[in-house]
Amino acid sequence: MKALDVDIRLSRGAFQMAAQFSAPADGITVLFGPSGSGKSSLLSAIGGITPADGQIRLGKRALNDSGLNLPPHLRGIGLVFQDARLFPHLTVSQNIAYAWKRAPVDKRPAMDALARFFDITALMERPAGNLSGGEKSRVALARALAAAPDFLLLDEPFAALDGLRRRAFIRVLLDMHKNFHLPMLVVTHSIDDAAAMASNLVALRDGRVVAAGPFDQATRQPAFAAMLDSRDSGAAVSALLLHSGHDPAQRYLWLRADHIVLAMERPVAVSARNILEGEIAAVQTEADGSRLVELLTPVGTILSRVTAEAVVELGLAPGKRAWALVKVHALQD
Amino acid sequence: MLSALEIEVLRTSFSVAFFALLWSLPLAIACAFALSRRFPGRFTLDGLVHLPIILPPVLTGFLLLLLFGRQGPIGHWLEQALGIHLAFTLQGAALATAVMTFPILVRAIRIAFEAMDARLFEAASMLRAGPWDRFFTIALPLAGPGILAGAVTAFAAGMGEFGAVITFAANIPGQTQTLPLAIYAVLQQPNGEGEALRLAALSFTLAMSGLIGAEFLQRWMVRRLKG
Repeated sequence: MKALDVDIRLSRGAFQMAAQFSAPADGITVLFGPSGSGKSSLLSAIGGITPADGQIRLGKRALNDSGLNLPPHLRGIGLVFQDARLFPHLTVSQNIAYAWKRAPVDKRPAMDALARFFDITALMERPAGNLSGGEKSRVALARALAAAPDFLLLDEPFAALDGLRRRAFIRVLLDMHKNFHLPMLVVTHSIDDAAAMASNLVALRDGRVVAAGPFDQATRQPAFAAMLDSRDSGAAVSALLLHSGHDPAQRYLWLRADHIVLAMERPVAVSARNILEGEIAAVQTEADGSRLVELLTPVGTILSRVTAEAVVELGLAPGKRAWALVKVHALQD
Repeated sequence: MLSALEIEVLRTSFSVAFFALLWSLPLAIACAFALSRRFPGRFTLDGLVHLPIILPPVLTGFLLLLLFGRQGPIGHWLEQALGIHLAFTLQGAALATAVMTFPILVRAIRIAFEAMDARLFEAASMLRAGPWDRFFTIALPLAGPGILAGAVTAFAAGMGEFGAVITFAANIPGQTQTLPLAIYAVLQQPNGEGEALRLAALSFTLAMSGLIGAEFLQRWMVRRLKG
């Protein structure tokens, strides 16, 4: 497994990018940012599709350096595009074999195991132009893995999927990461998707990295909070997720400040499971006049949004004890 | 039914059109692919390819004679080095036909390359396919319908080339006398109009079936490619 180190500059017309970050060899790194922040351009540059100045290193191997710009097919990097980009003149199995035949012989994964893993065995002889959105995404993943890359880039591969299939797809990604020991950099603009996958975060805004590091730490940086839509403000807590058919996994959950209700006494007659006791660390005033209350709980710092009146009426102040009620749907994955 | 003369003329026409296509297709594919991308000298190449449409066919034939005739630089070399001479032969007629139908061929194939989704090349490059690999495994198969349609149209048009062929390859029965050249020849004879009309009808039928055939082949291939 190889880490990816990036320190590049590129310009496209008026858009300037200067990005420096590392994606560790172990775990999934999420590249997060609003649309137009340069996420896709950054992936293209790492893949070698668009030339960039600076250094890109995969493990010890230089892909970009002064005077060096390896073409995409020699980089050993895989890229799964938002729109799958299956070859329409080939069947599903021919699409996957296309990658497999070009992979180094000693690294080739078993084709039938790949098909079983992505649940596409029944689709193998179908023309690739004739699949549903979810099927296309799974075939694109299988094809990318068949090329046996050292590092996999994914550009919002689930953008075309609705909520339920999206979450299923994220579980496939997590299982895939575990089974194939493949480091990944995944682009998304959804904080929930980011939390569900990430062990690490790289936040990009206007072509600059504004926050980076382990997901729970990076999301606590003020520059990251500032780039979120106010409805998405919140905090990451670590949780053990249990899915039938999947191994229990330590993941993050994104608790939105809007979904947390505060009480000054231990509430009764509510599902106790969703109550967290803690100490108020700070009360901040937001741009819209609402207040964000920072609560230190045993599972980590969480945020709750309350009105200015509530702060006065409840006497919310640093040092006081409070109970946070987490709405059940905020915990659903 | 067809007379011996008509059968011979048909056979010559088919041979000329066939060899013309055989020699020009690889070069046409290369030119069309080059023209579908941006590179310096693209407009010059584009102009050169389309020159036979603009020039009077007789002039094209004359230029070929100057270049490929026994005294011409290329013709002289071909005869000395390889023992090939083209002027006034069937292969010469094929060369003149190839030059004349080249723009038709390049245009059809170029449109196919330009309509292609360039993002598929990016996808292939991320699956370890190099530039030549991508050309042969992605670009060429996807341009298949365009190449086929261009080839059938060029073949049909090639059977009817006149000016450049008669100038460069003359009008030799059994050698270079294709359909239009035979029509011209019988019209020179007294009371040749009847035979000319028969040949004209033959020529028209072949050209139309070529066009219709190209259309059907293309539709069929596009359906097959889309799955």
